[in-house]
This record gives sequence, structure tokens and C-alpha cells, in this order.
Amino acid sequence: MNAVEVRGVSKVFNAGRPNAVEALVGIDLTIEPGEFVSLIGPSGCGKSTQLRLIANLTEPTSGEVLVNGKPARAARLDQDYGMAFQQAGLFDWRSVTKNVELPLELKGWDRARRRQRALEMLELVKLSEFADHFPWQLSGGMQQRVAIARALAAHPPLLLMDEPFGALDEMTREHMQVELLRICGQTSTTVVFVTHSIPEAVYLSTRVVVMSPRPGRITDVIDVDLGTHRDVETREADAFFKKVTEVREALRGIDTTGIEPDIEQALEEPVEG
Amino acid sequence: MFLLALVLVTAIWELYKLVGPPDGGTVFGWTILPRANDIAMPHVWEMLSRYADPERRGSSTPIAVIVLQGAWFTFRIAIVGFAIGTLLGLGLAVLMARFKVVERGLLPYLVISQTVPLIALAPLVVSWGGRLSLGAFEWPRWLSAAVMGAFLAFFPVAVGTLKGLTSTPPASLELMASYAASWRQTLFKLRFPAAVPFMIPALKLAATASVIGVIVAELSTGLAGGVGRLIIEYARQATGDPSKVFTAVIVTALLGLVMVGLVGLADVTLMRNRPREAAE
Amino acid sequence: MRLPRASVFSLMWPPVVFGVAFLVLWETAVAVFDFQTYFLPPPSAIWDAFRANTALIWEATKVSGLNAFVGLVVGTALGIAMSFLLARFRLLNDLMTPLAIGLNAVPIFVLVAIFNNMYPITSEVPRRLMVTLVVYFIVLVNVARGLSEVGAIQLELMRSYAASEAAILRKVRIPNAVPYLFTALKIAAPASVITAFVSEYFGGSQNGLGSRIVSNIALSNNAEAWAYVLGACLLGLAFYLTALVLERVAVPGGISAVEQVGA
Repeated sequence: MNAVEVRGVSKVFNAGRPNAVEALVGIDLTIEPGEFVSLIGPSGCGKSTQLRLIANLTEPTSGEVLVNGKPARAARLDQDYGMAFQQAGLFDWRSVTKNVELPLELKGWDRARRRQRALEMLELVKLSEFADHFPWQLSGGMQQRVAIARALAAHPPLLLMDEPFGALDEMTREHMQVELLRICGQTSTTVVFVTHSIPEAVYLSTRVVVMSPRPGRITDVIDVDLGTHRDVETREADAFFKKVTEVREALRGIDTTGIEPDIEQALEEPVEG
Repeated sequence: MFLLALVLVTAIWELYKLVGPPDGGTVFGWTILPRANDIAMPHVWEMLSRYADPERRGSSTPIAVIVLQGAWFTFRIAIVGFAIGTLLGLGLAVLMARFKVVERGLLPYLVISQTVPLIALAPLVVSWGGRLSLGAFEWPRWLSAAVMGAFLAFFPVAVGTLKGLTSTPPASLELMASYAASWRQTLFKLRFPAAVPFMIPALKLAATASVIGVIVAELSTGLAGGVGRLIIEYARQATGDPSKVFTAVIVTALLGLVMVGLVGLADVTLMRNRPREAAE
Repeated sequence: MRLPRASVFSLMWPPVVFGVAFLVLWETAVAVFDFQTYFLPPPSAIWDAFRANTALIWEATKVSGLNAFVGLVVGTALGIAMSFLLARFRLLNDLMTPLAIGLNAVPIFVLVAIFNNMYPITSEVPRRLMVTLVVYFIVLVNVARGLSEVGAIQLELMRSYAASEAAILRKVRIPNAVPYLFTALKIAAPASVITAFVSEYFGGSQNGLGSRIVSNIALSNNAEAWAYVLGACLLGLAFYLTALVLERVAVPGGISAVEQVGA
């Protein structure tokens, strides 16, 4: 069974109105369990929309999205995935531990079990000392680690990430990438990762999906065979640079100057509860 | 700084007494200058010393006691009014946050309800209360005053809480959606805690409002024992005893400050774990 | 979150429906439960009383309305003037702000009892003074906030142009404060009307709406009393709508959520 299957999906915002936007057209993508797939492309190529379709935070105009063998909606109701955004989005009024416990509370776990799992996750992301701290006491990178711990708290098979390291400085970013691979390796999670950064996509992924805008579509899928064990030295290897160049060239063919309105502006759909 | 401001106000008061026209004056033909004589504007020290003197001839209790008792009476009713008003306001806010139709339909009337003079509602509340005896429970007269306090208090709570409930960051709402959380779960785990910074200033307004409502109620339902009644009584006796009314007014002011101070305490407790940004 | 532009109809029908439903409910409840008029008059009786006494109601409305209006105008003018001073002189700011916050907590309308003694008994000045005071603080707190809470980036930009304080005031602070002024007016307008009534409870001249309502209730003329209440609500509504219209005119394009401060 595939982790994610996207078949013939298209997404149009404001369909039928003069400001209609074709965010995605004819998307076909299959992701197998254990893969780390990055979606990369210029603004407006629909990569975030694609992620949100998988997350069932929005519905496709046509086509279907299957997650874990089920329709995306069922997968969301069953909490088959965890999600991390660019802003860590931790709740100010909860301690770090209680933030990680949030999805478990919603699943109805009892207090003892929740706390144990939350502490396990904090240990995984190496933030055990900060269990009783509050979000504002943590740096950006640390907050993102808590967000990742939260996303994985219920041990979902799938992790969806929308430019989670975008707000961090370069050094912290590279460090977080190493950490992420370690964590996902330990938990064998499938990851779909949206990013702007070519080196980031190449470093993290087993496959890089290159997308282009107007209309949003997949133009290239590049396998990244840098092996399963990646560390700080990987970034300095020849093979790495070759891959980065390959991805860059795939992107170069895409018209990146935007005159079309931003996809984000067309996003006028209410969040489903 | 507050004390300094008070001193300044006192200084201006006394200064005006020194230079102002004893029988009031006119500016461009309009009688807008108040009378500066000792009857209309007693000296500040006269006001303060009045607290030690008895309420009327023949009594031995200093007026300070009477006035404080009145304030305590009003205070307890105001607390009840505040509690009822807050619950009502919260309930309405949740209803309006949940159903946009209710917000659009109800909010204009809530705004208008605040322009209805309380004094018209007073007899209504009293007579309804009279009829509302469930078994052994008899509607006490003070409860009508509390209801009127609640009537003024619920509005700021409703408006402030509604604003807070609808100002939740969209990213957090998406997070809850990704957990397939129900509206109720999102309400209690996200919207309410996120709304607290909006609710605190609203609760402070509600605290003052409930005191105002109770005082107006005391005046219009003839409820004796509270500070509103005292003010009216003493105002009538102002020609004979000018500083009397000030004793009651000053204590009323303190009452308002205490109510708001209590909300401030709640503020400190609820917000202790959050970063200290401007919540007002 | 931006919502799709709601049509005027979708904005209008809920309050209309709610209002009509409420009136119908009221009228039927009175009929069904056979409430006596002294207890709760039905809307129809109130409307009749309103029509019968329109001239008197109008007279009383003019008195209260004028008090509210004078207080509103003077209070707003003083509030704006003082807020300029506060923006300029830090010391004054540090003195005034705690006073304003403190007085916000206090039911200051009880001061009318004191004001009544300072003026001749037929004077309307105590009420106007009270309204002025209430409005003054509302406007002061909001406009002062608008003048001072300017983005740090904007201020740094102006300093890089070596702009004088006066220029900063004109070009940055005042435009920033305009929405705050209108937020204040939307609160102060109904507040001025309510304060005008409430001030009438403490004695003094008996020509306004507040005292009429009181006297009618004392005589158990409930339908008449509520007719005056209707007049009062209409007055309050008129003031509020005027403030809304002024806001639309002065700040076209709408106001982003500005937090409300004040009574």
C-alpha cells in the first residue's frame, strides 16, 4: 500500500469567477512508505496547495487523493498524519510538554499515557530539559523541534511539512535538517516536505518533485541517490553538488517572474472542522 | 503617579475656590462657571475630616462606617451582577462565534440594548422577580439590582469575548483541523485560551458597568442600604451639610477601583505564563 | 482571515428577521399570558403611546439630545486637544494616564450629584458637564493611543529624514490616530446619550427623557414610559449611526481591527 497517492488531481480557486486561479492541474504522484519527498518550485507553483490537499485541509476540484490507502478525509479523521508549518504555532499558554500532548488529548488518551509519550518525543528531539518551559522562552529552532515532536507524537506514518525551517537562519537550518533526518530515520516516517531551498531539498530527500506555476503542475521528478546515511559531510560531496545542479537546471526552465496573482491570495476557503 | 495626579486635581479644586466666583459666573452669557462658595464646593480637608463625624446629630457612629457599609452592600450585589453578566456574555459570544447568522442578527440589538435606560427596566425586573418564586426560593429585592448590573456587564464581555474568539490565528485553526478536532474541542483548547488577552480589558469594563447598574438600580427600585441611595440622600442635604455627599462619592469611586482591581488580579494569575506583551 | 465580500442583503436580513421575530414573540406573549399593562406593555400599546405623545417625546428628546450633543462636541474637542499635549509632554502623559485609567474604573456619573449643587437648579450645565467628562476620557485615551502607538519603523524613517517633531506629528502621528478617533466616537456617541439620561436621575431640571421616563414609571404609565424609552433608543441609535457615517466618510476603505479602549 502506498503512503500517498495523488491521481489526476486539479485544484481551481474561485472557479467560475473572473479571478479564478488554476492552482494545480493534472497532478499524478505516488509516494511509497519510508520515502522523503520534497516539493520544490517558485511561488505560485502550487506546492503548498498540494500539501494541503494531502492533508485534506482543502478539497480537490477533480481527481482523488489517497493517504494510507484511504481517502484523504478519512485519513485526516483518523489522524494518519502529523503536520508542521513555517510558524511553529505552539500555544503560548501551554508548557512545552503540554503542547506536545495536544494531539494525544484530542485522541482521548489518558493523562499518564500522554505524558509518557510526550516526554519520549521530547527526548527524541533532544529537548527533555525544557519540558516545563514555555514557548516564548525557546529559540525559533527549539520551537520548531517542539512542533515536530508534536507532529510525531501520535506516531503517524506520514509527516507533512510546509517550509518548517523557512524562518530560521542558515546555520540553525542545516542543523535542523540533520536532526530531522535522524528523527524520521528512527521513526520510519514517510515525509512530504515543501521547500524553496534547493540544497535543503536535495539534502533531505529520496526524491525531489519539481513544480512550476501557471498552471501549477509537476515538471520533473528527480531521484536523489545519496544513500540513506547523510550527515554534515554529505553536503560537501561531489554527488551532492551534482544533484543540486540537476535540480537547479530543472528549475531554470521554469518562468519564475510572476504576473499571476498569488495562490495564497485566492485561498478563501474556510478551514474544515 | 496616580497619587500625584490626585494631588494635582485637589490643587486645581482649591485654586478655583480661591479665585472663582462665589455664586457662579457667566462666560459669554452662559452660566458655566460653578459656584465657588463653601457650600457648593467644600474644601478638600473638610471632605476628608467629614469621615470622622457622625452621620446625623445624635448618632455616635462616624459616617465613615455608614458609608463603608453602604459600599460593602453595593459591592456584594455588584459581584453577583458581574458573575451573571459574565456568564451571559460568554454564552452569547460563543453562540455568535459559532453561527455567523446569530452574530449578524443579534449584535445590533445587543448594541441597542445598551441605550435602553436602565431606569425603565427597573420596575420590570422587580415585578418579574416578585412573580418568580420557585418553591421555597423567594426573589430577594437585591437580586433585581444584580440583574440590572448584569444587564450592563454582559455587553462588554460579549463583545470582547467575541472579538477574541474570532481573532484566533488561522495557522492554529488549521492545526486543529489537521487533528480532526471538533468545534467544541477547538473552542476549549484553542479559541478560549487565545481569547483571554481580549477578555481581560472587557472584564474590567464589565466590572465598572455592573457597579453602575447596581447603583442605578438602587436609585430606581428604592433599594436601601447601598451607596447609591446614600448619595441621593446626602445630595439633598447638601445645603446644610456640604461635605456629606462627597464622603459617599469618594467611597463609590474606591468601590469601582476595587472591582477593577480584582479583575486585574485575575489578569495576573491567568497571564502569568505568557510573555508580557501589551494586553490592553 | 478575509471573508468573501458579503452582499448587503446577507448583512441586512438577519437583524431584520431577529427584530421582527422578537416583536412578534413579545406581542403574542403579552396576549397569551394576559400580562397587565402595568407589568409589561405589548409593542402595539407602546407604539400607540408613542404616536399619541410624539410632540412631548420630541421636546424631551431635544433637551436630552442637546445635552448629549454639547457634551459630545466639547468633550471630543478637549480630548483631542489634551491628547496633543500628552503626546508632546511626557510628564503630563505620566500624570494623566493613571488618572484616566483610574477614572475609567469609577462610576463617575455619581459626580452629577455634586455638580447639581454647583449650578442653579434649572441649569442643564451639570448634565453637559458630566457628558463632557465621560466623552473627554474616552476620546483622550483612544486618541492619545493613536498618536503614540506609531510603528517604530515609521519613526526611524522620519528621523532619517531629520524631520522635526511637528512634521512627524503632522505626517505620521495624526493620520495614524484618525481611526482611533472614530473608534472612540463610536463608543462615545451612545455613551453621551446614556450619560445624559442617567444624569437626570439625580435631580435638577426635569425636562429631559430620563426624568420623563422616571415620572411615568412612578405613575405606572408603563406604555407611556416605554414610548419615551423608544425615543431614547432612537436618539442613541441616531448618534451611533452618525458616528458610523462620519467614520465611513473620513476613513474610506475601512479600518483594520483597532482595539477599543475606554468606557
